[in-house]
Amino acid sequence: MTVADGTSGPANQPVIEVRGVRKSFGKFVALENLDLSIPRASVGLLGANGAGKTTLIRTLLGLTKPDRGTARVVGYDTQTQGIQVRERVGYMPEADALPSSTTAADFVAHMAEMSGLPARAARQRAADVLYQVGLDEERYRLIKGFSTGMRQRVKLAQAIVHDPQLVFLDEPTAGMDPNGREEMLELVERIYRSLGIAVVFSSHILEDIERVCDYVVILDGGRLVTSQPLGGLGVIGGEVIVEIDGDQDAFAGLIRQQGVTVQPASTELGARELVIQVDDERVYDLIRDVAVHQQVALRSLRSRSRSLEDIYLGDVGAMREEANVR
Amino acid sequence: MSANVTPNAPTGYGEVFDRGYQHYTGPRLGRRQAFRSLVGYSIKRAMGIRKPWTSKILPILLYTAAIIPLIVMIGIAALVPQVEFASYSGYFAAIFTIEGIFVATIAPEMLCPDRREKTLPLYFARAISRSDYILAKLLATILLTMTMSLIPAVILWLGRQLVADSPWKAMRSNVDDLGRVILAGALIALLLGALGLFISSLTDRKGVAVTVIIIGFLLLTGATHAAFEVLDQDWRRYLIFFSIQDVIGAVLDHLFHDVDSHIIRVADFSLMVYIAYILILSALAMLFVRWRYRPQD
Repeated sequence: MTVADGTSGPANQPVIEVRGVRKSFGKFVALENLDLSIPRASVGLLGANGAGKTTLIRTLLGLTKPDRGTARVVGYDTQTQGIQVRERVGYMPEADALPSSTTAADFVAHMAEMSGLPARAARQRAADVLYQVGLDEERYRLIKGFSTGMRQRVKLAQAIVHDPQLVFLDEPTAGMDPNGREEMLELVERIYRSLGIAVVFSSHILEDIERVCDYVVILDGGRLVTSQPLGGLGVIGGEVIVEIDGDQDAFAGLIRQQGVTVQPASTELGARELVIQVDDERVYDLIRDVAVHQQVALRSLRSRSRSLEDIYLGDVGAMREEANVR
Repeated sequence: MSANVTPNAPTGYGEVFDRGYQHYTGPRLGRRQAFRSLVGYSIKRAMGIRKPWTSKILPILLYTAAIIPLIVMIGIAALVPQVEFASYSGYFAAIFTIEGIFVATIAPEMLCPDRREKTLPLYFARAISRSDYILAKLLATILLTMTMSLIPAVILWLGRQLVADSPWKAMRSNVDDLGRVILAGALIALLLGALGLFISSLTDRKGVAVTVIIIGFLLLTGATHAAFEVLDQDWRRYLIFFSIQDVIGAVLDHLFHDVDSHIIRVADFSLMVYIAYILILSALAMLFVRWRYRPQD
């Protein structure tokens, strides 16, 4: 599948830039000194309930004013150019936000007009987009007769009907059965990969994000835990497992002398291995050089990818520990 | 949307249509289009257009109740020249209750479903501001109420001129009456519309809003009349401002000089006072509605 080249703008330009954003509700701090630069991608916004995901989305839509800091979305300032931002982005809220006694076609067309499309174009776009989300046959039925999955599709259709450059999806799989969830994830994946619309996919389900996103932003307690591409997690920021023939302790000691974390580990068959932290590509060179210097044979060297779960548990845990120490 | 015929397909076997996603390259009309769309959509929803047939019953009944007597009146006057036409203020007074019920029906429809069905986040994530949303709803309510308060009155004016010996001459000489009819109709629509939206903004439930609007108008008028009869101090003239029906009656009396009401005679305020009161009350009502729709930060 290829990324469609539409109205989306340069691929290397960040779609979201956040600088020092803080937002509190009374004593509760929802976002704390957030600095972010998110590329045009399918971005997973991950965090537990109350982590600040929805507040961040509302801030990026210009619907919530931060206490301090600035945010730019698709090149526009969210506070001073909120309407321009909202003309160019789509939003699918978590809540069931659909009128019951109207047809899907009427409502989605109305939402297209609300984004500035002329009436005739809006009706045409509504029909096309409802077809894309799999509601071609049902578009003239009243929404109140729709299942949860169909209602989620209508919400998705209204979010992309005006062909936005970026779409925010707030928990799009919430409350769906396994089949519906699977279909929704396929649709979300298509939005970026086939339709070329950048996606910010907010969820607390790691599996969903891992499945459809190629970039992840993790929030915890309103703070940024990490913001990085998902594809690179297996190489940089992961671990490499090394098995050698020779004096393993001396080998590990020399590696440690270079400031690299090394831990011994045992396989199920009893062979001794070393787990070496890879924070930099130069670690691979270091392993090679030490092996040559010690004149030991490298029997195996394989990378161990950090899954999104490892990242989430490791980084969030470390951040919470740090906060507790303070 | 492009259509691709399958290569080498025998003619008559049909076509394969490519319904792949197309990016939108047409014009984007921005905030103005969004505002216009919201006004139009709100009017259609309130009138039951593109909704189940049951939603259309009440508006149709109310329009019928407002217009049929008018048509009958014009018909009788055309056939029997001796019969006197109803006065403008008499007509406005006669349909005030119908207008009240009409506003009680449409104003909750403008605001309550969006709150109850949680569609507001979808609207506020579009190319409008919160103030645009409120203004669009007010405009939609006023335009609809004017179809009840103004159009029949203009028809009445036209009917009066058309049954005259020289209709064209009558139209020219009575153009002032048309101006007064339009002013009265517009003020009624503004006041009832703004108050209807004010009450509707207090609840998510349409039924509650409808009931409160109707009972509120009736109670305020009844209580004002009762207090007016009981009290005899000079300041009782100010009580008229608690009765919407009497304020409108006073405006009609100033414009057409034929309203017979004790409370209006005692109050004895100038037309400008009543107009200023209507404008200020409507503005306050809309400021309250705007406050109700403030961001929940």
